[in-house]
Amino acid sequence: MRALFSLLCVCCFGVSAGHHAYGQVQGVMLDAPVPLPDVSFHDEHETIYSSADLKDQWTLIMIGFLTCPDVCPFTLANLEAAVAETGIRVRPESVPKVWFVSVDPDRDTEYVSEYGPFFHPDFRSMTGSREDIDAFVEASDGFYRLMPPDSDGHYDVQHSSAVSVIAPDGTLRAKLQPPFDPGLTAEFLSRLQITYRKELSQ
Amino acid sequence: MTKKFFCASVFALMASSVAAQDVIIRDAYIPVAPPGAMAHAAYMLLENPSEQTRSLIGASAPGYAMAHLHSSQSNDGVMTMTMVEQVDIAPGQSIALAPGGLHIMLMRPSAELAAEAGAGYMVDVTLLFANGETQTVSAQMRPHGADGS
Repeated sequence: MRALFSLLCVCCFGVSAGHHAYGQVQGVMLDAPVPLPDVSFHDEHETIYSSADLKDQWTLIMIGFLTCPDVCPFTLANLEAAVAETGIRVRPESVPKVWFVSVDPDRDTEYVSEYGPFFHPDFRSMTGSREDIDAFVEASDGFYRLMPPDSDGHYDVQHSSAVSVIAPDGTLRAKLQPPFDPGLTAEFLSRLQITYRKELSQ
Repeated sequence: MTKKFFCASVFALMASSVAAQDVIIRDAYIPVAPPGAMAHAAYMLLENPSEQTRSLIGASAPGYAMAHLHSSQSNDGVMTMTMVEQVDIAPGQSIALAPGGLHIMLMRPSAELAAEAGAGYMVDVTLLFANGETQTVSAQMRPHGADGS
């Protein structure tokens, strides 16, 4: 699967390399939609976020952990700007929702709901059971690993940097890649939505 | 004797301050962290105007249980944070501690600090160098989005 993503990435780059604005790859469209398993996430207030909630909206899902001081806040701040840019290009109902899924429920459950809205009032953050987290991560070709703790008990978490793009039919359609340049990411997302609508109308 | 010793000490001090010129630290800041965050990141520019390589080997800040030098890297699409033992700054070189790369990870803010933290809050970050010198810089908490972070 990973090889397929890489190949698509190369193709995407090859096709767009001639175009100045797309010199930098911001995302990879999948050649076929990937269905996602039925999973259910939650926050500390027992708000439930399930696969069913992904229907009829565009959703960007990133995985991470709250003890991540550098990359996770950086990514969410960039996504906030990218979503704002996307809002200029698409209808209000097509502006993507953003879900941050913590893969570190042991440390993060207590505060998880406050993380997403810190970056934008509409962003949501959640965690889940190990089974549900793993099912989602595997289906979206993601990766994470809790590293062994150091002598202070602190541990880091390695995780995929790509952000999953879920279409209104609940399938995975694309992956966004760092650095999440706001303008280029918004351009990628609006083109993805055009492709999706064309596909539906056929 | 005392006078001689005094002169020698002054001379030694002057000599050491010439040999180990301070690293110039610019634009130190800490993005305001989300509620409940157990780690903050400090960023800054370090410039070495001296003729010796200076090596940053550690950091500390009041209100945090500990601080580590860290580097974020993306390898095959996987984000990894690794502890960095030391950051060498060659003579004349500038090194940026910036989002997505090198940073000082400030861990476990005290409840008191967490309660007061917010835009404009100042944190004194002390940098430890391999030659035993320390330098302290005031890092201001800034909202995300300011300065492209």
